[in-house]
Amino acid sequence: MSASDVIGSERMEALLRGDAPRTTGEERRAALLGRLRAAQLRAPETLRARVLAPAPERRPARFRMPSRRLVFVLVPAAAALAVGAALVHGLVGSGGHPVVLRTYQTPAVSSGGAVTGSGVYGPVVVHGAAKAAPFAPLPTVGSTRLQHTAASLEVRVADTDKLSQATTAATRIATSLGGYAQSVVYRTPQAGGGTAFLELRIPAANVKQALARLAALGTLVSQQVSVQDLQHAFAVQSAQIAQLRRSIAALQQALQSPSLPDAQKVLLQIRLAEQKRALAQRLHARTGTVAAGTTSRVSLVLSTKKSVVPAATHRGRIGRMVHSAVGFLALEATVVLYALIVVSPFLLLAGIAWGLNRARRRRDERRLLAA
Amino acid sequence: MKGVNAVSTSIDAPRALGARPAFADVAAEQLDAVYRYLVYLTGDRAAAEDLAAETFEKAFRMWRRFDPRRGSPRTWLCRIARTVAIDWFRAESRRKRREETYARDLGDQTEDAFGDGMSAPIEQALRELSPAEREVVALRVVLELDGPSAARVLGISQTACSTRLSRALQKLEERVGDVRE
Repeated sequence: MSASDVIGSERMEALLRGDAPRTTGEERRAALLGRLRAAQLRAPETLRARVLAPAPERRPARFRMPSRRLVFVLVPAAAALAVGAALVHGLVGSGGHPVVLRTYQTPAVSSGGAVTGSGVYGPVVVHGAAKAAPFAPLPTVGSTRLQHTAASLEVRVADTDKLSQATTAATRIATSLGGYAQSVVYRTPQAGGGTAFLELRIPAANVKQALARLAALGTLVSQQVSVQDLQHAFAVQSAQIAQLRRSIAALQQALQSPSLPDAQKVLLQIRLAEQKRALAQRLHARTGTVAAGTTSRVSLVLSTKKSVVPAATHRGRIGRMVHSAVGFLALEATVVLYALIVVSPFLLLAGIAWGLNRARRRRDERRLLAA
Repeated sequence: MKGVNAVSTSIDAPRALGARPAFADVAAEQLDAVYRYLVYLTGDRAAAEDLAAETFEKAFRMWRRFDPRRGSPRTWLCRIARTVAIDWFRAESRRKRREETYARDLGDQTEDAFGDGMSAPIEQALRELSPAEREVVALRVVLELDGPSAARVLGISQTACSTRLSRALQKLEERVGDVRE
């Protein structure tokens, strides 16, 4: 076969369509195609009878949806279900009677009971009508234990003159009780009103008295007191310090031994230095614990505004429903995200296995049909 | 497949309107084409007959999944037939390995396998082609599928399909010689 007999793909397509051949090679190719097409081959009658025979009546096939279409149905259905669940959750969770008017915080007080052990006493949130909160007594704590008290008070005064006087008085109260004002921020904007923020440090022994006097500077709006027991931390630190001191003494004694090899001596010296550094850290930490136990922190807010504490946001029924539904949707999205994170490696492995299997089958097919 | 014989000439009418043809009509129309394709692929009329029956049985079960917008019924049926035939090739290969001697020797068959009235040299030359080469000849030349449809049936690119066809026809020409009158 000469080079001129090579038929390009375009001419080949033309010959297949029945176009007239242009070269001798094309004539030969067209003749071959004609011979191949001319040969008759009909399906035998037995096959025709088998295929075209009336099929037996069968039950209606059960509904089967193609897998690709199933994805387009399932995904929107799942999304609709998620949104529907969120809406139902929003409807149920929105409730019918919103009542939160204002929030006041009063100290968590167990009436008459001793408060012991470690822990922070959280605020008790009271929902109710706006009225001044009375000054409540401090939690009764064991006086022999080391405890850190943190308190915050919000006091309302009549006007800016009273605000100035109350701020000065609060600083004097702290000083007179052996404490001090760590910071004072005093604001009187042109729009009127004013606020003063005071960070006071009061000796633990006088904190009750300080709170009572500070609350008397105006109308007490809210107060919050937390008491944290530090006795256990102090005991642990003391035990560690004692242990470290014993260890240091033992190491120093060992280092004085003349028979100690040089290498061993170096190791012991390193260990001794580490122990001394750890001892210094523990001592510093214990000093901090003691300081925290002997000094209370009082945050005082003096304000001329009517409402120092922002009232709870008022949402309508629809607003609360939407808020609740959005929260629920976010939760669902989080769950789906976590599920995807967990499942994705398995999906990846399954995809790889599927791809490898498909490649193997294709290779197998090629081998079978090439034989 | 009930009522297949009732309709044989009005197949194109619903298709022209974009409607889905009845399976019975498609089966009646495409039976010969599928059978020829399987004869070319297997080189064995008896096997092709069984495989064609199996193909239409499978197609009947899958008929709901046929989408006329994605291809002609002939292309769809040829894809099913190819799958069925490849399973048959696998089974034959296993059988061949299991029994040490292969009972059927395609090269020695003397009957006209690929078409009635086909000349012996062409028959012999077709027999010497591989099944992959014969099937591309069947699809493009005998069944007159266009390039994209044939490539889709074979699961290869259109270029690969065209190359395979050229190679197969060139081999046929080399073995048959000039067949011009």
